[in-house]
Amino acid sequence: MSRKMIFVDTAICTGCKACSVACKAWNELPAENTQLITSYQSQDDFTVDTWTFVTFDEKYENGKFNWMMRKSQCFHCGEPACMKACSSEAISKTDSGFVVIDQDKCIGCGYCMANCPWNIPRVVQSTFPKDAKAFKCTGCVNRVENGLAPSCVSTCQPGALQFGDYDEMMALAYQTLAIRKENHPRAQLYGDKIMGGTGYLYLLEDDPEVYGLPANPKTPVSLKLWKDIVYPLGGIAAGAAVAAVAVGVISNAARGNYRNKPDHSEH
Amino acid sequence: MTEPKKVYRFGGGTRLAHGIHLVCFFTLMITGLLVLFAAGSEGSRIIHRIGAIVLVLAMIFALFFGQTGRDFRYWIKATFSFKKNDFAHAKNFPVEFFGGHKPFPPQGKFNGGEKLNSLLTILGLLCIIVSGFIIWFPQVFPGWVVQWGYVFHAGFALLMGAVLIAHMYLGILHPDSNQALKGMMGDGYVPARFAYEHYEEWYNEIKDEQGLVDFASEKQA
Repeated sequence: MSRKMIFVDTAICTGCKACSVACKAWNELPAENTQLITSYQSQDDFTVDTWTFVTFDEKYENGKFNWMMRKSQCFHCGEPACMKACSSEAISKTDSGFVVIDQDKCIGCGYCMANCPWNIPRVVQSTFPKDAKAFKCTGCVNRVENGLAPSCVSTCQPGALQFGDYDEMMALAYQTLAIRKENHPRAQLYGDKIMGGTGYLYLLEDDPEVYGLPANPKTPVSLKLWKDIVYPLGGIAAGAAVAAVAVGVISNAARGNYRNKPDHSEH
Repeated sequence: MTEPKKVYRFGGGTRLAHGIHLVCFFTLMITGLLVLFAAGSEGSRIIHRIGAIVLVLAMIFALFFGQTGRDFRYWIKATFSFKKNDFAHAKNFPVEFFGGHKPFPPQGKFNGGEKLNSLLTILGLLCIIVSGFIIWFPQVFPGWVVQWGYVFHAGFALLMGAVLIAHMYLGILHPDSNQALKGMMGDGYVPARFAYEHYEEWYNEIKDEQGLVDFASEKQA
């Protein structure tokens, strides 16, 4: 299956939150007690049972009011930092381009969460290690691989979520951007040039910072250092130590140090 | 009066602390490697944390408890007072490591090579403990601190693993320095001549106290 994309046009999102309900319905996630956070936003952050929610920001500019609404969930990066950070090879990328966690392999170490540029995965906090698992949006791969759109997409009433092949959606995104720029000069795409291209691509009406998003999300330098340099160096150091010991034993034997061991107990 | 041929080098508390450190270190190293390189090792995470708590508590206890505490603090103080004589000894370390011999100035209770090992152990362990605490509680610390915590924890752990391999070689396999093995892993005694040759300064300090042979005057005579 070719790579897929969900194109999110924030300009026509009405903030109805049906996507987050549809997500819970399909993935059988329990409802949680929520409260008003800001504006009409009712969810503060991701939880193990809430994989998507809508953020609300209000903007007044030149006497005009505008809602800044954004459905947030895992971005499904082309080059996922979580996958690189995972200690247990539990995170993989499907052919359709979605980044999924295998909870049978996951040991709940939380490295994915700490290294995600948006801090998206959530780990069950449990005293029993068997229950400590990481969760996040799956891109509804079980639907996608059976020819359906993700649950959030199929429920989106204004059509702010569009699902299709990556290239087609990218073309649609650029077409739509040209139209949106007429009313929102700072409108821009978010996701086409970051983290290897994201599976959820956004058309934002303003700079990413307005939505509380990092403008240049990157795989942490520390993660690259850790996995690409420290691990190989550590292996080399251990290997060098073993080799030095072997050479030490051989050279001691060659010098006859084992046979001619001075007897220090006699004097 | 028969002269003792052995020198009492490490007290029971020190040897016990070393033993606890040994058991904890191996437990932590194995479970740590399992977490990083073996899939589905949830149990290792719990054992890793129990090992860490035991190690830290044992070391704190050893640091402040009676004679063991005094010996422990003496060791730390000696380790961090790395002087010219220590450097002169450590410089010869590669030669000694491969079975050669080079003269070195008289050493204190811990020679330059041992001080290097101690230095790496103390600083490495501190880095591992601090970074381990940070990555245990990622929600308490800023994201970038946690991210760098992983690097330091893994990096110093691997470095310590390499140091351990060399340490075990010198303690067990090296035909000269393994004479010290019983001093730490046995009854606490090392051969008197070995002690005199490797720690002359320390030997002269304690020789009257322990009623030992005066190798120096013997040499002159």
